[in-house]
Amino acid sequence: MTSSLTERPKPFLVPEYCKGCGRCIRSCVKDCFTLGAQINPETGLVPISLDLTNCNSCGLCIDACPEPYGLRLAGEGDEAAERPGHALELVAAPGGIPEPEPWPDQTVALPDRQPLFIKGTYAAALGALLAGCRHVFGYPITPSTEGAELMARVLPTLGGIFLQAVSEVATVNIMYGAGGAGKPCMTFTSSPGFSLMLEGISYMIGSEIPAVFVNVMRGGPGLGNIGPEQSDIKLACRGLGHGNTHAIVLAPASPQEMLDLTMLAFELAFKYRNPVVVLGDGYLGQMTGKVQLPKYMVVPGIPRWAVYGDRSHRGNLICSVELDPELLESHNFRLNEKYEQITSAEQRAELFWCNDADILLLACNTPSQIAKGAVKELRERGHRVGLLRPITLWPFPLDRFRGPLHRAKELVVVEASSGQLEDELRLALSHAGTPTPPRVTHVRRMGGILPSQSEIVDHVAKLEVVP
Amino acid sequence: MPSSVFYRSFDRHNRGEGVNAHSTTYCPGCGHGLVQKYLAQAIDELGTQDRTVLISPVGCSVFMYYYFDVGNSQAAHGRAPAVAIGHKTANPGSIVIAYQGDGDLASIGLAEIVSTAQLGIPITVIFVNNAIYGMTGGQMAPTTLLGQHTTTTVEGRGLFAGRPLRMAEMIAGLDGSVYVERVALYDNRRRVHAKRAIKKALGLQVNGKGFAFIEVLSECPVHLGLDPEAAEDWVRDNMVPVFPLGVKKDITDGPNYPPIPSPRFDPDETLQAIGAGTTREARFAHGFAEHLDPEDISLKLAGAGGDGAQTAAMVIARAAINEGFDSTLIPSYGPESRGGTSYADVHVAKHQVLSPAAPRPHVLVAFNAPSLARFGPTVRTGGIVLYDSTVVHAVPSALAAGAIPVPVPLTGAAKDLGTPLVKNVVALGALQAVSKLLPEESFLTALRALLRDKPAMVPVNEEAFRLGAKLALEEH
Repeated sequence: MTSSLTERPKPFLVPEYCKGCGRCIRSCVKDCFTLGAQINPETGLVPISLDLTNCNSCGLCIDACPEPYGLRLAGEGDEAAERPGHALELVAAPGGIPEPEPWPDQTVALPDRQPLFIKGTYAAALGALLAGCRHVFGYPITPSTEGAELMARVLPTLGGIFLQAVSEVATVNIMYGAGGAGKPCMTFTSSPGFSLMLEGISYMIGSEIPAVFVNVMRGGPGLGNIGPEQSDIKLACRGLGHGNTHAIVLAPASPQEMLDLTMLAFELAFKYRNPVVVLGDGYLGQMTGKVQLPKYMVVPGIPRWAVYGDRSHRGNLICSVELDPELLESHNFRLNEKYEQITSAEQRAELFWCNDADILLLACNTPSQIAKGAVKELRERGHRVGLLRPITLWPFPLDRFRGPLHRAKELVVVEASSGQLEDELRLALSHAGTPTPPRVTHVRRMGGILPSQSEIVDHVAKLEVVP
Repeated sequence: MPSSVFYRSFDRHNRGEGVNAHSTTYCPGCGHGLVQKYLAQAIDELGTQDRTVLISPVGCSVFMYYYFDVGNSQAAHGRAPAVAIGHKTANPGSIVIAYQGDGDLASIGLAEIVSTAQLGIPITVIFVNNAIYGMTGGQMAPTTLLGQHTTTTVEGRGLFAGRPLRMAEMIAGLDGSVYVERVALYDNRRRVHAKRAIKKALGLQVNGKGFAFIEVLSECPVHLGLDPEAAEDWVRDNMVPVFPLGVKKDITDGPNYPPIPSPRFDPDETLQAIGAGTTREARFAHGFAEHLDPEDISLKLAGAGGDGAQTAAMVIARAAINEGFDSTLIPSYGPESRGGTSYADVHVAKHQVLSPAAPRPHVLVAFNAPSLARFGPTVRTGGIVLYDSTVVHAVPSALAAGAIPVPVPLTGAAKDLGTPLVKNVVALGALQAVSKLLPEESFLTALRALLRDKPAMVPVNEEAFRLGAKLALEEH
């Protein structure tokens, strides 16, 4: 079929979709367009007016019109139906937005292996690999760097990707992309780096993107030092960037838990579509210990909500913007429901010799290991002492602690910070309206110094517990 | 006919009510709409709609996901290239487009765009430069012209506010970019060029070429205070002299970007990659060294960097683990490990190590005098203080009461063997002989395992171990 200029379609315009900018006017050599004179009642704007008498169908006006549904070529659709109010009828056109197909995770059994003897940061890296993570991004920062180094060495042998980003700000946003595409991804960082990631974590929570942040905490504020401090409990539990944010915070206390809790972190991150923070300390990161591998590994699928970049997931959107106040409020209510669900389902803790304890220690991470040493020593001296060890710092596992707290007369918070763990305890007690909590005292060190066993023992020995 | 890459109805735009279903949020005459039409058309013509991921920025074009029927991801201000890296590495088959304005790309997001362009990962960046901040209401942009009036340069941009930043030239100067062009929208000819450039940039990604960057000089009539026609003229007359149009770089006949790997999840391969061995080493211990402590024995090994304290500590801990005990090792690290003192705390526990530090060790191995002076007094009553008598001549006076000094000429013995590096293994032999922490064969097995990649070193190490034991027993 041959076509002459006159047979080619001419432009048409739905006046409601024209903002009257007039960019078409100069584009037309035949002067088909003039500025309009009449306000369109639907839009309150003045659409251009169109006289196609001289039109030669060159089509240049269409490329000059900034609106997708502005000037179009006639004859390729039912223009009459394309009026405001009738528009939705067009949605059902063939090739419409597809429904995501299920692409589930699989677990694969692993044969028994000899225990490994590895550093805490390495153990966390192995946990991530066994959880199906093949996408690791990061910026080197002591004392977390070994994790990234191990990943950089191992991932290429498994078809994975380690990418050293230009900064922690870039890191968290690369994770936003990879996590938004539905892939398990993670980073290793330490306190100052974690601070830089907080904005991005807020975006991830708002957009409901799973990811795992292993923060090997060090001394602060500012550059501080690279010694072990529990300096980011407040940030992780209460300060994940702007807005209504929370994330599950896991506090390992041994290299074994660095592996186990990192694996768990991926599971929880995808279960709740939310970042998860694994909060270690500098001591634990560098500590080498016995690590037994799990009985299974995960082969991840792609979640239905992901923006993976294929036909099945084309209709999806990863986004934290919502201009409508009511919609944004309901989004926040929904996030709150998720936080409440997490709070009731995910409290984790260890109770160490708490059954008959008059005096309870409360500690997490490496200080909890030191506190266990103190409990043992104090028990040998005849003190009835036990240890409450939160494994989730958020949600704070108060439900697990109620029984022992009810019996005890003294509670000693042992931490390598200025009271950040104690603040979590006090908030939890306050919210729960615990009637008569035991007296709270503390043993605190900072600056890269952990509380020592003898400091804990001396503190407890001085408490006057009435039997 | 609008390109099918636009949604048939913009349901995300104010719930798609009334004209919102088919109108953009852009002001009349804004260049964004044109760029996005060309982009949609390019996606359509290249047939990549299903696998396209579009990264919307912060700025006037934040709501591109209202319009584009593709996978949509909305980024934080300036971070679109980082988000794009995430998407591209997560699915190398996806076609990832980062669309950014001048504040987003050339101000707050400079680090991301520069590093991503240098990286050269095959994504397509569309940079819309209209010399002003639109969404926040007409403030100075990094690309604002000298003398241009904005709400934050009320007297016109002066040198104190800096000169306009030429991004296309900067990106072209980076190694990773394969195609960089600056185009404009102010007349029919420029619009045809712009359309062609956008399609070319996208096509390069489809062909796996590399990083492509299209800068579009665009009109913001509202904040320039001009009608759309005058805004076109303003871009032509004022922006183009500062931001010359044209191809800034084209090395598209070069090699493709290396293939982005695809993850594998084979269990055996995974276990091998993480170094999980199948073979259990033989065991030699007939019980825990209760003569040292009923439950948990702590050791400290201290010396100068290079003395081998960390390696010796690793041998002890591995030997203990292999024998079925629990063990931990804490090194001194960071600046401390770069010269100066290097020390390691080791625990060997019958069941479980509780506190991993060794403030009061059962055993101290001191490789030099400062280490002995510092940690000697911390050794508990009945504990063992093994030190290098080649370098420490006087009997230490600062030991805790009841601690047993064991002087062994570690450096001298290692030199006699012709391998000064093995003095830490001499120390291990001596330690085993006097403490009986674990049987000799436990240590040697762990030592051999550690030297798996250096089999030639095994004989001299074994000799050093036995010499250490002999010297210690002679002394003790």
